[in-house]
Amino acid sequence: MWTGSIIFNNKLGPQHLHMAVRLPSEFVNPSPGQFVMIRPARGGEPLLSRPLSIYQFTRNQDHVILEFLYRIVGQGTELLSRLPSAAEVAMLGPLGNGFRIEKNRSHRILLAGGMGVAPITFLAQRLNDLVVTKAELQICLGAKSCAEIVGVERIKGFQGLMNIVTDDGTIGSCGLVTDLLPDITRGCDPCQTMIYACGPMAMLRTLAEELAPTRIPCQVSIEERMACGLGACLGCAVDVHNRRGRRVKKSLCKDGPVFNIEDICWEQL
Amino acid sequence: MTNRKGLDGKGKLAVAIGTLKLKNPVMTASGTFGYGEEYAPYVDLNRLGAIIVKGLSLKPRSGNPGPRIMETPAGMLNAIGLQNIGVKSFIRNKLPYLRQFDTAIIANVYGETIEEYLRVSEILTAAGGVHALEINVSCPNVKRGGVAFGTDPDMVAEVTNGVKDVTDLPVIVKLSPNVTDICVMAKAAEAAGADAVSLINTITGMSVDVEKRIPHLKNITGGLSGPAIKPVALRMVWQVAGRVRIPVIGVGGIMSPRDALEFFIAGARAIQVGTANFVEPRATMRIIDGIGAYMKRHRILDMDNLVGSLRI
Repeated sequence: MWTGSIIFNNKLGPQHLHMAVRLPSEFVNPSPGQFVMIRPARGGEPLLSRPLSIYQFTRNQDHVILEFLYRIVGQGTELLSRLPSAAEVAMLGPLGNGFRIEKNRSHRILLAGGMGVAPITFLAQRLNDLVVTKAELQICLGAKSCAEIVGVERIKGFQGLMNIVTDDGTIGSCGLVTDLLPDITRGCDPCQTMIYACGPMAMLRTLAEELAPTRIPCQVSIEERMACGLGACLGCAVDVHNRRGRRVKKSLCKDGPVFNIEDICWEQL
Repeated sequence: MTNRKGLDGKGKLAVAIGTLKLKNPVMTASGTFGYGEEYAPYVDLNRLGAIIVKGLSLKPRSGNPGPRIMETPAGMLNAIGLQNIGVKSFIRNKLPYLRQFDTAIIANVYGETIEEYLRVSEILTAAGGVHALEINVSCPNVKRGGVAFGTDPDMVAEVTNGVKDVTDLPVIVKLSPNVTDICVMAKAAEAAGADAVSLINTITGMSVDVEKRIPHLKNITGGLSGPAIKPVALRMVWQVAGRVRIPVIGVGGIMSPRDALEFFIAGARAIQVGTANFVEPRATMRIIDGIGAYMKRHRILDMDNLVGSLRI
């Protein structure tokens, strides 16, 4: 378990925060889609750490910096949101299996809904180095409203065509991020394309339904309540089809949080 | 059974549970430590008194649908439903890894029927490398078996008797707190030949999402664990320790060395660490070190001088 020190923990809106944590240089380089279990180092209530996906990673000479974008959803994240600079956090990670980057696929589509922007931004940064032309990377961000769309500036700095959608149309076009799918995937070669997505369950479910007939592969990062983050408590089990098509239980924390969209048994979620 | 290096019963933290000699009294509670390997990056498994693995059934079980857990004040609810890989896969895929460690391996046994408890016990005994069996008659989250056997003293006795007939390994019966008088169950287990009892399993509880007016757990109810249940567990351990002659293993909300010491003083010969593993993977190491430091500070020579030393 790592002890990190908070560099900043800034409010971006009433519920949204951007946190940076300084950690020892022994912290292993994370890959996009991986997460950490984090809680205040001094312990206390609530007991359990909270899973946060990694937004940005920077390696410096004698330390590393991890950044997170998160939203206050309950007691654990509320407690994190109140931590001041220099406060210590206890952390496990990097954990889980992140997004697979297949270098031979030249067309990549990134879809983020709400706080899904955090791992998608980290992925965009990684892909930035691989992309040759702007058209090879398309990024679609969706949120409820202008007030809830966060992290746009950073992701805009990367290579790629940007689309922004909000439920109420206060910024970008009006609608859901999945509304963009028909246009974006039209004429796509399933062998050359990979979609990466993270967002609310409803968005990912729609994505699964709409992509099924297109045969375009898609990796999604999903979430569930977790206690340990190590695959021991079995609290975050998810039903997945294995290679032989049989339904098996996987631990979201250890086997995921990224899965192939067609492997997930969506009716269970 | 021959004692391996480190299980020689020497050292001031050593304890005996029947014929099972442990280098220290700290075990990992079933269901909170996977099959051991999940924690190997964080914990020196050789330092543990014993590893109790996730409850094993004859056939693999996929467990309950999610959400399966919910954090509650000073604890958590779970309704995993005994998801496990099945006893045969455990022996083939997990036990060889565990055998390399210098710690006692205790298999937690679950069945939907008495026959299933006996069959799983037989298979584990024949496998070699398992040092004791913990009989789970207390899981609250399954439709059949589990706590259904743990709320009736005759059933506790029947399962215990049956398992004792098919194994020469020490048998620990894990008791449920969801009964009127846990001492009745402990006495029934003892009379049927149990080598020890472990208590408590989780207390059945519930939590509601008031915005959606739905239970937080898909199973509706779940088992409460963590510091919230520690005073109840401690009271039950104290009561049972005064009523049976076999060792009592204390379980329930142990997060710190101080918590563990409370259980020893109340009469527990050994303890199990559960939910604390989720909060801090190295909790067991900190607890073992803290017990040792306390013994030194109070000049207590061995566990016998600590267990049941409550002054009233």
